[in-house]
Amino acid sequence: MSYPKTSVILCTCSGIIGERIDWDRVRELLADHPSRPIFKVDELACGSDNLETLAQWLKEERPERVVVAACSPREHEGTFRRLLGECGINPWYLQLVNVREQAAWVTEDPQAATAKAARLVHAALNRVARHEPLHERSVPVRTEVAIIGAGPAGMQAALTLARAGRQVTLIEKEPMIGGLPVRFDELFPNLECGPCLLEPVMGELLHGPESAHVKLLTLSEVTEIKGGFGNWNLTVRQQPRYIDPEQCIGCMICAEVCPQRRANRWNCAGEIAAVAVPFAGALPNLPHIDAGACLKLTAGECDVCLAECPVPEALNFEDREREHTVEAGAVIVATGAVERPDLPGAFAGLSDVHTAYSFERLIASNGPNGGELTLSDGRAPASICIVHCAGSLDPGEISYCSGTCCRAAHKYAHLAAAKVPGIAVTRLVREQSMPGVEAGRQYHHDHSAVVRYAAFGELQLRDGAAGREIVLPEGRSVAADLIVLCRPVVPSPGTAAAASLLDLDLDQQGFIAQLHSLSGSCATSLKGVYLAGACRGPGDVRESFATGTAAAGLALSDLVPGRDLIVDPQVAAVDAAACAGCRTCLQLCPYQAITWNEGDKVAEISDILCHGCGTCVAACPSGAIRGLGFTRAMLRAEIEGVLS
Amino acid sequence: MSGQTLTARSVPEATAGVRARPLKIVAFLCNWCSYAGADKAGANQLPVPAELSVVRVMCSGRVEPTLILEALQQGADGVMVLACHPGDCHYKEGNLRAFCRAELLERMLPQLGVDTKRFCFDYVSAAEAEKFSRITGEFVERVRRIEEHH
Repeated sequence: MSYPKTSVILCTCSGIIGERIDWDRVRELLADHPSRPIFKVDELACGSDNLETLAQWLKEERPERVVVAACSPREHEGTFRRLLGECGINPWYLQLVNVREQAAWVTEDPQAATAKAARLVHAALNRVARHEPLHERSVPVRTEVAIIGAGPAGMQAALTLARAGRQVTLIEKEPMIGGLPVRFDELFPNLECGPCLLEPVMGELLHGPESAHVKLLTLSEVTEIKGGFGNWNLTVRQQPRYIDPEQCIGCMICAEVCPQRRANRWNCAGEIAAVAVPFAGALPNLPHIDAGACLKLTAGECDVCLAECPVPEALNFEDREREHTVEAGAVIVATGAVERPDLPGAFAGLSDVHTAYSFERLIASNGPNGGELTLSDGRAPASICIVHCAGSLDPGEISYCSGTCCRAAHKYAHLAAAKVPGIAVTRLVREQSMPGVEAGRQYHHDHSAVVRYAAFGELQLRDGAAGREIVLPEGRSVAADLIVLCRPVVPSPGTAAAASLLDLDLDQQGFIAQLHSLSGSCATSLKGVYLAGACRGPGDVRESFATGTAAAGLALSDLVPGRDLIVDPQVAAVDAAACAGCRTCLQLCPYQAITWNEGDKVAEISDILCHGCGTCVAACPSGAIRGLGFTRAMLRAEIEGVLS
Repeated sequence: MSGQTLTARSVPEATAGVRARPLKIVAFLCNWCSYAGADKAGANQLPVPAELSVVRVMCSGRVEPTLILEALQQGADGVMVLACHPGDCHYKEGNLRAFCRAELLERMLPQLGVDTKRFCFDYVSAAEAEKFSRITGEFVERVRRIEEHH
């Protein structure tokens, strides 16, 4: 092959390299290299004055390729790429040889160090001859953000972005926003009122100065997500509310007069009208109609709400399912977690057995009982037993600790004692986890009886003389008129759906895999998809707010108005003519950068999503994938050089 | 893939004993962990065999077995592939692909007449300067013993 004209800069690194490596000898050894290299020894090639001199020299020499023998590419590859760019040479026509870390500093014998340096420079001369000009591609990115889930994490992300002037579409499957804690009267660790904490946040989202930046889609679920970083396209299906939000004044007279009832799934108890809000204070302050329950929508024979509504045009029985297209540069997944819904055999189907969620609603002032703590027959319970780790830390059920239930259990103990004077409160405990400074107060103020148990599956129930009891295997019993089971926290159905739509990896427990559990816990392997809240794993309200802010921060720093995405050209590229269509690469890519073109029966790689690792390059049986910057020809030439 | 046929005749064992020359060892290092570990070994001025030549790749997953075989065919006395530790891969799992390929390659080498001791797959983190120095030294010694044996 013919070799292009190559300039070689030999750096002495202020004598550090020069001490061990004799550059004159290297020049002699390589003088006959077919590229006929032109050498220049420099005292400190990275120095700003030296860079100017080198630029001058390169402009005079006008080489086609440049080799710099200096230090680690991890340190100065960028510096010398910029130098080439300034001199009108394609920056990827550079090969940097790390003679400092790999020869000068680690080889005691100067002769051996010099021979090694010559070998490495020889390899670089071979390699750089095979380099191809690469070009950074600039892609315009959208700066809008789509957020899935309007719990604390999604709302906080939306507000943070809206405050920065970003357009946000907030997609919520429920008729109201606020997630789970807006339904809880008190939040651990400080027993703050959940609605009081969240209403200002919701108010700002709905009516605040930045609300113009937020488009809220309630009763909505994402059905498809296409595209990639900077250009996502979401299809959202919105169920009809049958209420016109522009007309309705939120007086709720319709709910008062509606003759038809349906089960209240938000309370896990009782009923609400077919037209209603899920609970008092739910926002947006709009009722919705359950089409399956409404007499007018099912039998067509009821006009009670229409007759009583002060703004009858607010009721829209012609409302239909709608499909929205949402375009966004980034997607924030804030779909949350739920408690494991099933109850184990010993507890299933019994009255006055609650999960944490149904107990929260039972004691909520806007819940089914008006905040009173009573048994299902209306009596005050003489005893309450709160079971920690009810299915957690259990290889048969959920192996991990949800990390939030202990603080909730201490709260339940406190609230039960406050609501029912004299109630016998027992916490059945397997392990206890009370992290945080404030939770320490909860821990020390707790007055409940604490009984340890070993395995949740071994707990039995029986009716004792004074009422129901939980019996431990060793025969000990605990009074348990009312039982609260702290079930494990598991990914919500929405979290599984979002992961599936975006083809995101899940961790072993089914939560969405974080890019890194310590340093990238709000990012995913997919660029432009961020995580907030408990879709990442069980967490508390504090973490939801914090990660909502964090995810918004990632979106803000990745999507800057007027700043295009600069795509690193050192990515993998498919030679369509050589692709055999075996699809091996499709399973390998950790970033979903490879897609299948069904029309042409070839694999295609998105340079935006590709991180340039080269795993697919190495795996392609047809050799049809080229690792730009690290092609087979370049690596072979380098190997040939070091073996010369 | 290589466009060249690899034969037992072309690999080191077939020609061993007829040369008295310095060893040639090729080491493929991933950019993020093992190359950074090697840089640290340099900064700490720990000894690294002069016989070792490093070829930098972005990920150990980039190193196809053919490149390793070609290096042996072209006269490398030994080849190392050094990766991030399991779970630490900058690209999530490229190091595990590299591990799987290394396992297969080790079974294949004897069929090509190559002593498996001429190949080494190991993990070096960005902090393990000392490990990089030690295992490269040990590997070169191991290959030297094979050469002396022949």
